[in-house]
Amino acid sequence: MADLLRVEELGEIPFDEKEILRYALLPASAPAPEELPLRECLEAARGAAHCRAVWRRFPLKRHGEELDLGFARTASLSLCRHLEGCDEILLFACTAGAETDRRIARAKLTSPARGLLMHAIGAQQVEGACDLLCRRLAERFPDRQLTERYSPGYGDLPLVLQREVISALNCERTIGVTLLDSLLMQPSKSVTAIIGMKERQGI
Amino acid sequence: MSLRELLRTGPFFLDGGMGSLLQARGLKPGEAPEYWNLTHPEEITAIHREYYDAGSQMVMTNTFGVHPQRYSPEECEKMIRAAFACAEKARQKAKSGEEKFIGMDIGPCGKLLRPLGTLDFEDAVSGFALVIRIGAACGADCIVIETMNDSSETRAALLAAKEACGLPVLVSNAYGGDGKVMTGGSPASLTAMLEGLGADAVGVNCSLGPDALTPIVEAYLDAASVPVLMKPNAGLPQEKDGKTFYTVTAEDFARQVAALVPKGLRIMGGCCGTTPEYIRALRRAAEGLIPPPLKDPQRTVIASRGQALELGRDPVIIGERINPTGKKRLRQALTDGDMAYVLNEAIAQEERGAQVLDVNVGTPGVDEPALLERAVQELQAVTDLPLQLDTADAAAMERALRVYNGKAMINSVNGKQEVMDAIFPLVKKYGGVLVALTLDENGIPSTAEGRFAIAERILKEAEKYGIAPKEILFDPLTMTVSADTDAARVTLDALKLIRERTGCGTVLGVSNVSFGLPSREVLGSVFLTMALNSGLSAAIMNPLSDAMLGAMVCYRTLTGRDGNCGEYIRYAGSLPVREASAPSAGKVSAGPAEETKGLRRAVIKGLCREAGRLAKEALDGGRDGLALVREEIIPALDEVGRGFEAKTIYLPQLMMSAEAAEAAFTEIKARAAGRGGGQPKKSRVVLATVKGDVHDIGKNIVKLLLENYGFEVTDLGRDVPPETVLEAVERLRAPVCGLSALMTTTVPAMAETVALLHERAPWCKVMVGGAVLTEDYAREIGADGYGRDAMAAVRLAERFAQEKGSEG
Repeated sequence: MADLLRVEELGEIPFDEKEILRYALLPASAPAPEELPLRECLEAARGAAHCRAVWRRFPLKRHGEELDLGFARTASLSLCRHLEGCDEILLFACTAGAETDRRIARAKLTSPARGLLMHAIGAQQVEGACDLLCRRLAERFPDRQLTERYSPGYGDLPLVLQREVISALNCERTIGVTLLDSLLMQPSKSVTAIIGMKERQGI
Repeated sequence: MSLRELLRTGPFFLDGGMGSLLQARGLKPGEAPEYWNLTHPEEITAIHREYYDAGSQMVMTNTFGVHPQRYSPEECEKMIRAAFACAEKARQKAKSGEEKFIGMDIGPCGKLLRPLGTLDFEDAVSGFALVIRIGAACGADCIVIETMNDSSETRAALLAAKEACGLPVLVSNAYGGDGKVMTGGSPASLTAMLEGLGADAVGVNCSLGPDALTPIVEAYLDAASVPVLMKPNAGLPQEKDGKTFYTVTAEDFARQVAALVPKGLRIMGGCCGTTPEYIRALRRAAEGLIPPPLKDPQRTVIASRGQALELGRDPVIIGERINPTGKKRLRQALTDGDMAYVLNEAIAQEERGAQVLDVNVGTPGVDEPALLERAVQELQAVTDLPLQLDTADAAAMERALRVYNGKAMINSVNGKQEVMDAIFPLVKKYGGVLVALTLDENGIPSTAEGRFAIAERILKEAEKYGIAPKEILFDPLTMTVSADTDAARVTLDALKLIRERTGCGTVLGVSNVSFGLPSREVLGSVFLTMALNSGLSAAIMNPLSDAMLGAMVCYRTLTGRDGNCGEYIRYAGSLPVREASAPSAGKVSAGPAEETKGLRRAVIKGLCREAGRLAKEALDGGRDGLALVREEIIPALDEVGRGFEAKTIYLPQLMMSAEAAEAAFTEIKARAAGRGGGQPKKSRVVLATVKGDVHDIGKNIVKLLLENYGFEVTDLGRDVPPETVLEAVERLRAPVCGLSALMTTTVPAMAETVALLHERAPWCKVMVGGAVLTEDYAREIGADGYGRDAMAAVRLAERFAQEKGSEG
């Protein structure tokens, strides 16, 4: 079972200041204020993230209203639409790692504003890692067409699906991610998602 | 030869993978391998037997996933008994006449421990103890804790094994490609911790192939004084035609693992993807190879979760500030359970170069054992510096040692028999480097020889417990020079004597030397230099003091320990610029009006240091603090708040302004404290993130702004149960309570808290906020108000407080 799981080392993602400010709720249209301690925060965050992902390929079947994802079933309409035409899925979980959380906790203690920026840096790390993973997957399956990633909690895809996701990917052992009873992932800068795969359409 | 001796001699051969072999025999994806002990015992027996026949001297029971976090105690017992029956049957049927052993396999329990997860340390220990006791009763020859990727859980399992049985314990961790375990932790830090707790062998399994694990195993071999084990995967899994295979062949695997035997590897086997064929090849490859004799590297090492620190090589700074003696503000924080203050002290010291933090929370009226345990856990969540546990209460020491994730410094033991009887057993059980004070029942000897004699007695007593001299640092005690002109000389003589004659490291709390004298830092820093020059290994000192830190940095620079003088240059850069040479001479004419205009601008721009400085200057210039708040700071905050509401200013800027305002308030408060009074407090607000939710950034922003606007905020933190919120609201008779929740899954906990407050504390108005909430949703769960953002929360609190006021 564990053999079908693939772990990808994604390392530290290059910092993207525009993205980070966007995650800190500063819209791209706003000029980056010079008094924000972004430099210091980037310095404090350097070396913290160690992004890792685990993924697995599953056949996708439809039973009436229900989708059989290979690791769980769901009647989510929005996911059904997202996976239209697909006959397989890639399920993945990705995390920036525990050290990122610790650096956030530390920054929060000394300054809430720094805490916010560190949160944003962590978010950029894990989101950037997801993007990198998706690019690698697209290269790995060149004859297949991949959909965008879709996470539990999007649309009407329930968050409780996280239980099956985390267990199907053996997340605790493979990348060190566990689920709290409230369905939050720990480390907090973690993402799970489903990617649909279908026959590549002619150009 | 006993198993312990065989392990210490080596090479000793373990078995290989189990999971992939079970799949080949029909185990379905998702099916728990441990169930097969009950449903397919003959298959399990056959696999064990194949390993014995291939040359494994010990097989591991099929109990990796058996833990009370997953199964009931009865199920655990059934599966473990069946697993041992399978292994025993295989042992009897096996061909060779070589002595064979059965190790009980223990894997991770599947939940993360606090502070990363929610599992309590003691619950993890008792879960492991339950299964280990069953295994020991079934005749296990040893316990093998493996594939652990969290150092705290590794500790829990090892401690459980030590408490549940007297069997040898092998401990193996799983590493990532970065050479660390998943929650942090290196070969050096784990070796220090696990040897301290009495592991019989340490090492690494799973995760990677033998080539990638080799440097990690070499790091273990460098650090360990116990045998090292290695069980790599057969490389990485690959898929071809729907079948999974591994990249490393049996021959390559065997060659790469066996190559480590001459370097000291003693215990070896395989993990995922390896089969009896791999073990057979490994035995062949290791034929005739003999590891060099085991030797203790003789290093004094302490460790945190992720760092190992060697003492006795370069002098080390132990930060002394988390100690309430003579510190009113810290004493108050400890009495109030205000951990944020303690954590900030830790970070401030770390940023100034402290390498170890002393933690002393003893103050009248607190439950010291409980508070020390909490402080240790919370400190380890924010700093990776090793801690020095400092208490005279043996019960508090044990509580802290149990939860401390790493190998601590233990402060302290002394020559009193009663103290040695209480402390040495703790050091033996939990591991740690001991600070030993050279005093006894007769007090502190006035001569260096007298102090050395006590050190010798302490070493003798330690030997009875099997505690090596390298685990002890002596403190020859700094006495006050104003009380005895000879005091410093005697201390330094004792230090040199102890070093030369015992070879042990030394530690001194240096500050005491200057007690009762003016300009204490001048004297203290010179004393520190003298002590360092006499060979001091570690100084317990205040790294926030420029003079004290300067003495340490200069010593390092002058003794060739500071490459390119980088540390010295950084230190010099941190020193305050002298007033006279500051280029502000031209600005002197700037009147108070200029300064306050500057203050308002500094708050709006979010310039913290600037705001603090300008507030101080305005106060120095005679401005009234209250007027400063009313006329400058509040208007500035209002302007920023309006900008935020109009979306011309964004959250990070709002927060920076709030912090700048706080910096100004701090100056005003400091001034007012002397005269009693300051900013008039508005009413009390209790804040919490509700149970189950750990998001607190929103709540923290609200707190900051509320404080800016003069509210007295009691912050209960995150993951707070309804009863705790009620308790605080009742105790403080708070008129306003703010609750935060980010997840749909935690909104029920919020609704429950609101209901409880309305029932039992009807005077309290409850406002709620958080990403998942809307105005309607808030009304639905019965809240009195909904704060769309932090400014809205401030406006709500002001309204509620005013209503309260007008009600009388």
